[in-house]
Amino acid sequence: MDDSPGKDSKRASRDWLRAQSRLGRRAAMPVVALGLGGTLLAIGQAWCVAAALQAAIAGHAPPLALLALFALLAVLRAGLGVLSERAGFDAGAAARRRLRSDALGRMLAAGPALLRRSHSGELTAVLVDRIEALDGLFARWLPAATLAMAGPALVALAVLPADPAGAGLLLATGLLVPVAMALSGLGAAAASRRQFAAMARLQARFLDRIRGIATIVLAGRAEDEARALGRAADELRRRTMRVLRVAFLSSAALDCAAALALVLLALRYGAGLASGALGHPARALFVLLLVPEFFAPLRAFAAAYQERMQAAVAAEALGALPPAVPEQPPQAVRTVAARGVSVAFEDVRLTWDPARGPALDGLSFRVPAGEVLVLAGPSGAGKSSAMEVLLGFVRPDSGRVTINGADIATLVPQALARLIAWIGQRPVLFAGSIRDNIRFARPEATEDEVAEAARFARLDGVAALLPQGLDTKVGEGGHGLSGGQAQRVAIARAFLKNAPILLMDEPTAHLDPLTEAEVLESLKRLTVGRTVILASHSAAAHAFGGRRLDIRDGRVAPARGVA
Amino acid sequence: MTALLRIMALWRPRFGWLAAGVIVSLAALGAGVALMVQSGALVAGVLLGAGMAAPALALRVLGPARVVLRYLERLTTHDALFRALADLRVWFFRGLSARAAGGLGFRRAGDVLARLVGDVEALDGLYLRTLVPLAGAVVLLPALLLLIGRSDPWLAAEVGVLFAAAAFVLPWLAGRAALAAGGRLAAAQSGLRVAALDTLTGLREVRAYGAEGRMMALVQAREAALLSAQHELAGRGALAGAAAFLCGQAAVLAVLLAAGSHPGTAAMLAFLTVAAFEAVAGLPRAGALAGHAATAAARVVEAAEGPVPVPEPAAPAAPPKGSSLKFEAVRFRWQPDRALVLDGLTLDIPQGARVAVLGPSGAGKSTLAALALKVAAPQEGRVLLGGTDIATLAAADVRGRIAWLSQATHLFDDTIRANLLLGRPDAAEPDLWAALESARVAEVVRALPEGLDTYVGEAGGRFSGGQGRRLALARALLSTAPVLILDEPCAGLDAETERDFFTTLNTAAEGRTILLIAHRLTGAERLDRIWRLSAGRAVAAAG
Repeated sequence: MDDSPGKDSKRASRDWLRAQSRLGRRAAMPVVALGLGGTLLAIGQAWCVAAALQAAIAGHAPPLALLALFALLAVLRAGLGVLSERAGFDAGAAARRRLRSDALGRMLAAGPALLRRSHSGELTAVLVDRIEALDGLFARWLPAATLAMAGPALVALAVLPADPAGAGLLLATGLLVPVAMALSGLGAAAASRRQFAAMARLQARFLDRIRGIATIVLAGRAEDEARALGRAADELRRRTMRVLRVAFLSSAALDCAAALALVLLALRYGAGLASGALGHPARALFVLLLVPEFFAPLRAFAAAYQERMQAAVAAEALGALPPAVPEQPPQAVRTVAARGVSVAFEDVRLTWDPARGPALDGLSFRVPAGEVLVLAGPSGAGKSSAMEVLLGFVRPDSGRVTINGADIATLVPQALARLIAWIGQRPVLFAGSIRDNIRFARPEATEDEVAEAARFARLDGVAALLPQGLDTKVGEGGHGLSGGQAQRVAIARAFLKNAPILLMDEPTAHLDPLTEAEVLESLKRLTVGRTVILASHSAAAHAFGGRRLDIRDGRVAPARGVA
Repeated sequence: MTALLRIMALWRPRFGWLAAGVIVSLAALGAGVALMVQSGALVAGVLLGAGMAAPALALRVLGPARVVLRYLERLTTHDALFRALADLRVWFFRGLSARAAGGLGFRRAGDVLARLVGDVEALDGLYLRTLVPLAGAVVLLPALLLLIGRSDPWLAAEVGVLFAAAAFVLPWLAGRAALAAGGRLAAAQSGLRVAALDTLTGLREVRAYGAEGRMMALVQAREAALLSAQHELAGRGALAGAAAFLCGQAAVLAVLLAAGSHPGTAAMLAFLTVAAFEAVAGLPRAGALAGHAATAAARVVEAAEGPVPVPEPAAPAAPPKGSSLKFEAVRFRWQPDRALVLDGLTLDIPQGARVAVLGPSGAGKSTLAALALKVAAPQEGRVLLGGTDIATLAAADVRGRIAWLSQATHLFDDTIRANLLLGRPDAAEPDLWAALESARVAEVVRALPEGLDTYVGEAGGRFSGGQGRRLALARALLSTAPVLILDEPCAGLDAETERDFFTTLNTAAEGRTILLIAHRLTGAERLDRIWRLSAGRAVAAAG
């Protein structure tokens, strides 16, 4: 059962890799050109050395001009090497930049609905690590794949005038490489893939055990797990070595071809020179010196194979991202009167997962301008789903949500975002100062406005106790704020934003009773003059007054009275 | 640097294998160099009329020998590498389990741990990419001096100096540069990660505040910083590589300049020089890698061999019979420069009692669990288990009597069975089902096609949050520990799931001593006593 989606994703990742390779090959052109330039210079150097050695063997000092040329070519070659590495880096960097913007764009377009399917940690790993792992594909593998063909061909071409038969011999041994690779395994590739997968499994196991190390230690199982880890690593070694014994045959084929070429050519020239059939010893030396040059691109190609394996893993993760959303057709931007905004749901239906039934099943209600509506009901009744529809996090399958009579589907997301302030169960604080986190709601706000928002949310009292006040760093690597303090930041954000509609989704669900009472007081002041929808099943909802609407199974429950 | 040496010292038991890898690799290197030298000698020999019989024979032997030796080298070095890699992981796991269970693991620093695992992985390449080629260079240098010195001592000195520069000095410089740049690179990397994680965990905020463009720009800016740090490092690596290349070229030039004075060996020496420098061409890059590895090694050694937070008593007392838990005038702070978390806390939990300790986050509730489990030790006061001061007990004995369940309790990416057996390795199948039944998750497991052998996925990802927590509860219930500490077991779950969980717990843990740590109660819990943590002390709360 698991097989067919696996195959599908493999095909998708293969197609993705192919498309990326096409793009990457163009970007790799400078690297290939510089690599071929390096090979040309190497050929020139080989000629210099051969000629100098011929002179030396004949008993003369090698001509200085020749040595000067050799030195010049060496410097040029070193320069080309540096440039080629830079170009490789640039190709990899450009590809990563493109892929990362594309992936993040797709994630942002998919929006909060994405978090229902994947954990933000996994998404971050895709955006950071997986895309970093693709660097090798663009910076090394793609150029190496082209150079593995072009490089040896260029060397053979250079050998051709010096010794046509020698060139033929080189090409023949060179062709042995792919043939032997194919023979030693459909092998080599499959083996390498299996080894890579086994390594990845061990690393995943190790990471998993380290992440849960407290659980293991407190269960008194540390020693058992350490032994199991050792056994797993040993087992991996045994299995991997079995595979590598075959996989290394393809590397051996490369060595074999290189040694064969060198020995055959040396013997051939030895015999030729001894019988006088070969007139110019310089040519023999020239060809011999070029043998390593002929095989160097093939070695680089073999070494870069690992990069391709890594890319295949990354490709699968990227292929699983939601597809890019086509730009929405430009619709007439509707503006909505800023004062006095009413909200209505008309027969709204939404299903997240067909297996679990509809989340909203024909929900209809209306909130007149400036009023408070409390959505009540057990968890899973559809309160949060209704909020997410209104926020534009997800589009309903059918039905309409209107603001002052205008369907929100006709509003561009930014216009909708301007109308609504939202306070969820647990606000996310971004890495930065408390001040930055408040300003997130409206980047262009003045210092005074931010300070006023902080005062409104009673954050000034919190800040007074912190080392750097409102400039204290919070979030990753910063000071931890308690749940109540974080909720105050969310209130300050909502105040600063000053939107006509305020949505609150169980804003005090995770606070202890004392903090809850304090936060509720601030929230209540925030509702003044706004159209408010509050999802809650706690008694705290009474604090807001307003109309109460009971929701069951995604629709309005039969009325039991007004709160 | 000392950290790197420490890592290498770990490999001492594998010395035989590692040395075998190095020796075979040296033999392969020797065969490769000799192959080039003999090819040159053959051609030169023929030209000088010295005949070609000897070199031709040598070639026929060296060619196959080179191929076979290279193959063997790959096998032995990889085998040695895998052995070293296993040792490193087991050593790290053992070291960390004796230390970080208290700090890193207990206080949910999953990302710090993940970074450490990355550091361990950075050490994998040390043997294959640095040590083996370095050993080759160490042997090649005297060989070069000897071979060239026979015909031209002065030339030998020149080539020797250049070789040492390429094989030792440049890699060392590259390593030092990497050490300095490594910090900047790491900062740029974590900058990008933080921006990405912020954006993605905050997708709701981002959409609600229309901040897509801003977050995209932030991630792109952090990426640009990372790319520029990498660009600098790559540029330096390329320069080091180019410098090493030029050393080799200068050596060849020196050989050619001197060639006129000893025609007989000129070709042989030129081929030898080319082959020798090719063998060490990768070392500057390896040096840069070793520089990275050195910073990683320092962090790894610190984590695995730092001080043990709670040392074991020299002669542990006999484990107590009873299962009451008592805190006596406990004063505790996590670090000397931090404020006191507990300040004279006294709390008595009689055997079989169900007690809750409430308090806002940061009040030190989790510290209670850490102290009871000997993950940390109080600076003043005592913690008694069954009347015995746990400072006199072996940690294993204490933990064998206290099961722990918190939001940080980890579900391993393994089968349900393996996850449960962690609680009691010798549990029989009916015991597993009984525990699942008590945790009210047996229905769910039974409905799975693979039942107990279903994989739970990364961090239990195949199950909903509530089901995952129930699986963890089943594991805790499976253990025979008479005391159960529940530290915010439902953090991150919605209120309804939380109530269900506690309703289950009321009947599930019958007969055990229970300490529930929470910031508030749902009303579903059945409790004997409720305490509130305030100013580092326990105050009786209405209950």
